[in-house]
Amino acid sequence: MVELEAEDPERLAELCEKLLANPLIEDYEIQTL
Amino acid sequence: MAFIKWGVLQFPGSCDERDALHACRIAGDEARLIWHEDRDLGGVDGVVVPGGFSYGDYLRAGAIARFSPAMEAVAELAAAGGPVLGICNGFQVLCEAGLLPGALLRNAGLRFRCHQVELIEEGTGERLSIPAKHGEGRYYAPEETLDRLEANGQVAYRYADGHNSNGSLRDIAGVTNERGNVLGLMPHPEHAVDPLTGSTDGLRVFERMSGVLA
Repeated sequence: MVELEAEDPERLAELCEKLLANPLIEDYEIQTL
Repeated sequence: MAFIKWGVLQFPGSCDERDALHACRIAGDEARLIWHEDRDLGGVDGVVVPGGFSYGDYLRAGAIARFSPAMEAVAELAAAGGPVLGICNGFQVLCEAGLLPGALLRNAGLRFRCHQVELIEEGTGERLSIPAKHGEGRYYAPEETLDRLEANGQVAYRYADGHNSNGSLRDIAGVTNERGNVLGLMPHPEHAVDPLTGSTDGLRVFERMSGVLA
């Protein structure tokens, strides 16, 4: 689990897809706290 | 073989860059370190992305290093046909950066393995004795990708029978890109260049990469 403070929650999916996850071997879900 | 000026990248957490430097020089080439923040590769002909634990394998092995400024220049060098050799963590970085297909997962036994392995060089059948030391070395790619790699001759090395200790699919130890100028492998050829360590088979890998520009 990676916890982040994001200024723009709308871009979280993009953040995960492009920076955090390796889509070849990982999927992810985003929980907004 | 061409005479190559190698740049060996150095990330925070790299630990095999100096052996890589030494191996390049033993192979008859010139080599120098390149700090990961340098976008300018300084006119080198090729790059070695060395082994180690860049950024402490934080998030995933190679996941942070792939965004280093130097890697932008490495991608350009690779696109221009320059030789790029990724060793262990370097292989992981190149896969994360999309310069090589597939990914490296945790070893099947979930244990860090450090031991001598025998590799078979695809195409020639040459058997190489080279050390391996990694916890995330299990090569993975979707079946259709594996089929394509096989068809294109992009499988560079396989573990010999009984030597695949990490569970890599199809015993794959190293792959190239389509063009063949980017090579990644999990075992460490830079640790097998001196008779003192029991094998000089690693030199064959460096000679292969020097041949990219020949």
